[in-house]
This record gives sequence, structure tokens and C-alpha cells, in this order.
Amino acid sequence: MNEQPQILPPQPYRQRTREEAFAPPEGARWWRISPRHKWYRRVVALVVALLAGPLGAFVVARTGGTPGAVVWSAATVLAFVLAWLVAEQAYQAWGFLERGDDLVITSGVFQRRIVIVPYARMQFVDVTSGPLEQLFGLATVRLHTAAATTDAAIPGLPIAVADQLRDRLAARGDEGAGL
Amino acid sequence: MNPHPYPPRHPHHRPGWAPPARPAMEVHRLHWATAPLRSLNIVVVYFVLIGMWLLLDPEDWSRLDPARFLVFLLVTFPVAVVAGVIGVWAWWAVRFWIDGDDLVVDTGMVRSRIRRIPLSRMQGVDVVSPLLGRLLGLAEVRLELAGGSSAEITLRYLGKRRARELRAELVALAAGLPGHTPEAPERPFCRVGFGVLFASLALRIPVLLSFALFVALVVFGIATGELAVLAVAVPILLGLCREVIAPLVMYTRFRSSIAPDGIRLRFGLLESRLQTVPPGRIQALRVVEPWMWRYFGWARVEMTVAGYGGERQSLSSTLLPVGPVEAAFAMVSEVFPGVVVEGVALTPTQSRWRKNDAAGISREVFVSRRGRFRRTWDVVDFARAQSVRLTSSPLQRLLGLGTVQVDVPPGPVQVAAVDWEVARARGLADETVARARPARARSGSLEHWAG
Repeated sequence: MNEQPQILPPQPYRQRTREEAFAPPEGARWWRISPRHKWYRRVVALVVALLAGPLGAFVVARTGGTPGAVVWSAATVLAFVLAWLVAEQAYQAWGFLERGDDLVITSGVFQRRIVIVPYARMQFVDVTSGPLEQLFGLATVRLHTAAATTDAAIPGLPIAVADQLRDRLAARGDEGAGL
Repeated sequence: MNPHPYPPRHPHHRPGWAPPARPAMEVHRLHWATAPLRSLNIVVVYFVLIGMWLLLDPEDWSRLDPARFLVFLLVTFPVAVVAGVIGVWAWWAVRFWIDGDDLVVDTGMVRSRIRRIPLSRMQGVDVVSPLLGRLLGLAEVRLELAGGSSAEITLRYLGKRRARELRAELVALAAGLPGHTPEAPERPFCRVGFGVLFASLALRIPVLLSFALFVALVVFGIATGELAVLAVAVPILLGLCREVIAPLVMYTRFRSSIAPDGIRLRFGLLESRLQTVPPGRIQALRVVEPWMWRYFGWARVEMTVAGYGGERQSLSSTLLPVGPVEAAFAMVSEVFPGVVVEGVALTPTQSRWRKNDAAGISREVFVSRRGRFRRTWDVVDFARAQSVRLTSSPLQRLLGLGTVQVDVPPGPVQVAAVDWEVARARGLADETVARARPARARSGSLEHWAG
């Protein structure tokens, strides 16, 4: 018998349409992150706006007078409203999928993105949760490979889910060599 | 009692304790000449910083005052003694031995400081002889490890023969063979002549432009007698030295050869190097054809090796400084067996602005070609690819385009199919993932490539 693993001819892919380019792999649905993630994003936006708005307005008022401060405040409010609206879209855009050999992550409202990380190439997984994330009971799972350009993070997972995911990923990574 | 959880500091020194009958456990020291060299080093630093000012009168440089000379002797003698002691001590303290699959280095002066290096994680071994070392028959052995900026071990200095033996031993052990395996035979692959190397370094647009500027400035300076042009001309000259003379000195007498234990590169005019890249350590390759080189049919090959990070990366990432294009592609075939880069069917990008860029996949590799004048080919073996990314920026989305990137460890190579029609890009990404799976299974674990 031939010792080489059998190389199957590549499966013909159904030609996707432009709209389907970022759709989940055939016959699968994205797993979603927690809907609390959008509220987390909104609170972050609020905190930033509350800090940057008055502070910036004060600085601008000192140098550019009242009109500058008004423009600054309006810009802050506009940015906050935009962030508030985009949070919903961003939440909708996040999705991930654990497959047999790899993890697939999609995200991005303006810049769409799909990352496929094979478990065999994973060096380590970490779970982080900042103070605000903890307030919402959320955590971020991040996968690291030998490539610095791999940007594979799943934010907005409930902490228990994140821990389970990390353990599952770590167990699968042990089966691979890493490099 | 040994308070450390480590093996005894010196396996031979306890009476009644027999070393295990493994020849590899023999404890080695650096070459004895390391001690005087290090002492000399300290004395020279002392002399430049302090001694010279004690000896010489700042008022009158030519006069030697006997009283000053006495002070100088009184200070210098103890310094020289201390330097000598430090040199001997530092030499005596460093011991290394091979324990199973690990190289163990003990650099403890007062107490044991043991570093264990699993040879299966070794990314490469370099034997470097600096100019002074070459005159004295000394060399240093450097081990490159995956990960981290401090992931490098230097054994400085060893006798020339001892260094070569150690290199062979380390490579054999990393391959999973016994340490006393004789050095694998090699077959010469190519050599780079001095004329070609010099011409290739000179025939680059920035080099030619700055040289023309330099000549123009000098001519202008001589014609007008204006010395101010030196303020511009000297930095240009220094830049030319950096870009032409330094690589020329570094890569003179470049020879590469292929051996079962890896690719061996030898080069250097003043400082000679023997660089060994074990098989399977090269993650990705780039073949670069600068514009002017293409008229001569020349190309250069760069490689990405995990662990050759940071500033050392540019130093150690050259696989072929210059050579015929055919040799460059043959080198790629040597590194990734069975891969013919020119044979991979490339699909041009579907963007109007990148007509000269193309990408394609074969069974083993992902290839992307870029550039109209200066052409680069980036090749990554599916078995070594890390993650696959498909992105579409707002502008690309307006045009219905997307980019597929195959991530590789930090290095010169960036593999990407830029501006593909987004649905086809998704197909390419899926296909890449599908082909990487069996490729990883084929290559298996590369920790012990001969085992």
C-alpha cells in the first residue's frame, strides 16, 4: 500500500456570489457573541465621549474661543451617536465557528474580515477581561500563532463561555506541533 | 547536599561519582584563549576610558612626566590583575554539555546558572569567526531558537575544529540521530563571484542616483572651490558605504551547499560565517528581481525563519545574495521539494490598478507575484502556513474586491493575493485552508526530521 496519505482531488466549490463572500462555510451558521457586547461598546463610547468632550472643549475654548468649543462638542456628540449606532452593526458582524481543524472568525462593519486559524498552528490562547468588560460579565479570547499578523480575537463572550472555549482550544492545540 | 533541583554543577567533580556511560555527557569548556582575550578586552576599555588620561598630560601631549607614569603604573597594575582574574574566571565558569536531546549551558560564576536548550526547538546554527578569531584559529557558535529576542545562545570562543564538531553534533542531535554521527556530506549548490556581487549591489536605482549626486557634488566643489558641498557629500558617501561596501564585505566568497542536515551558507571577507538552516525551518521564501537586475537575469532569495527576529533578521535572512533567476528558483525547489514556482498557474488580480500582480496555488505552495519593474515572488509552503485571512476594505468593497493573506512568522516574506474579485477571493481562501490540512499531515511533526 502507498504510505502517503491519500490526496483527494479538491472539492469543487460552489461559486459564491459577491454578497456571499463573507458568509459562513457551507452548511454552517455563525456562532454569535453575547448581545451585551453592543452595550459594552456603547458604555465605552459614552465614557470616552464624557472624558474627551468637556476636556477637549475646555482646551479648544482656551485657544480657539467659543465657536471652536461648540464645534468640538458637536463633533463629540456626533461621534458618540455614530458609535452608538455602529455598535449594533458591529455586534451583528461578529461571528465564529469551531470546525474540526480550525477556528473561523468573522467581523467588521466597514472592513469585512474572515480569519481562519488552524488549531495545529496555535501557540497559546489567552482570555482577557478589562474592568468595564467585567462589569458586563464579558471576556475576550485571543489566539496567538507564530505569525504576528494573525489577529484572531473573539470579544464579547460571557466569561464562562470564554473559559470553556479557551480550554477546548488549548486541548486541540496540544494535538498539533505549533510551528 | 545539592540544594538545586538541577544536575550537579560539574558531573565529574564529586569523588566516587562515576559519570554515566554516555559519551555525550562529557563536559566542555570554551577555548582557553577566551580568557586572555576577555582580559585584553577589559584592559583596552580601561586604557581608553581612564589609563590614557592618567598617562598623558592634557596640557602637553608629547611630554611624558615620570610622576604621571608612576601613578599610571600604580593604577594599571591592579586593573590588569583584576582583568586577568575576571578573564580566567569567566572562562572557567562557562561549561556546556549535551544531555539527551538538550544542550545544557552553565554560565554560573558564583552559583549555578543553568540554561537547558531543547535542540528540537533549534532553528539554526551559525559558526562565526571574527577577524581576530580567524588569525588565532577561534570561532564562536551561535544557536538560534524559536521565539523571543533573547532566544539566542552564543558560545564564544571555541577552537575552530571544536566549533565545527559541535555544529555537526548539534545538527545531528536535532535531527534525532546520535551525537557522534559524522558530519553529513554536502553537495555544492552555487557560489557568487566578487564581480557579480559588486555589480549587483551597484546596479540599483538608489545607489546609482546617490553616486551620481556624489560625483556631481564633488565636481561642483572642485570647480568652485566651495568646501560646503562636503557637508552633503560626506553623508552620501557614508550611505553608499553602508549600502554597497558593507554587504560586499559581508557576502564576499558566498557559497551555498545542500546537505541532508540542512542548507549551509558560507560567506564573509573579514568575518567568516558558516550558517546552517536545518530542513523544515524555512517558513517562506521571497525571490526578488530588482528592475535593473532583470536585464542581467539576476535575482536574490530571502527567507523567513522563525526565531531570526528583530534586527538580526536582515542579517540572517539572505539565502542567496545574487544569482541567476534559474538558480533562485532552483533554490526554492530545494527548500520546498517538488515545488516549481514558475510552473504554478498564477491568476492576475482583477483590479485595474494592479495588472502586474498575480497569485496562485499549487498542491504544496501559495505563490504571489508583485510589481511591474521590481518583481517579487512570495512563496509559502501550505504545511508551514499559519492562518489565512480574507479582508475587504471599504474601498475594495465598493469595487467588489478582497485580499487573501497567508500569515507567516515575522520576516521578509508577505504572501497575499491583493484585489481579487471578492467571491473568488473567498474561494481561494477556502481552497488554501483545504490544501493546508493534508499538507500539514504529510509533513508531520518536523521536530526530528531524520527520526
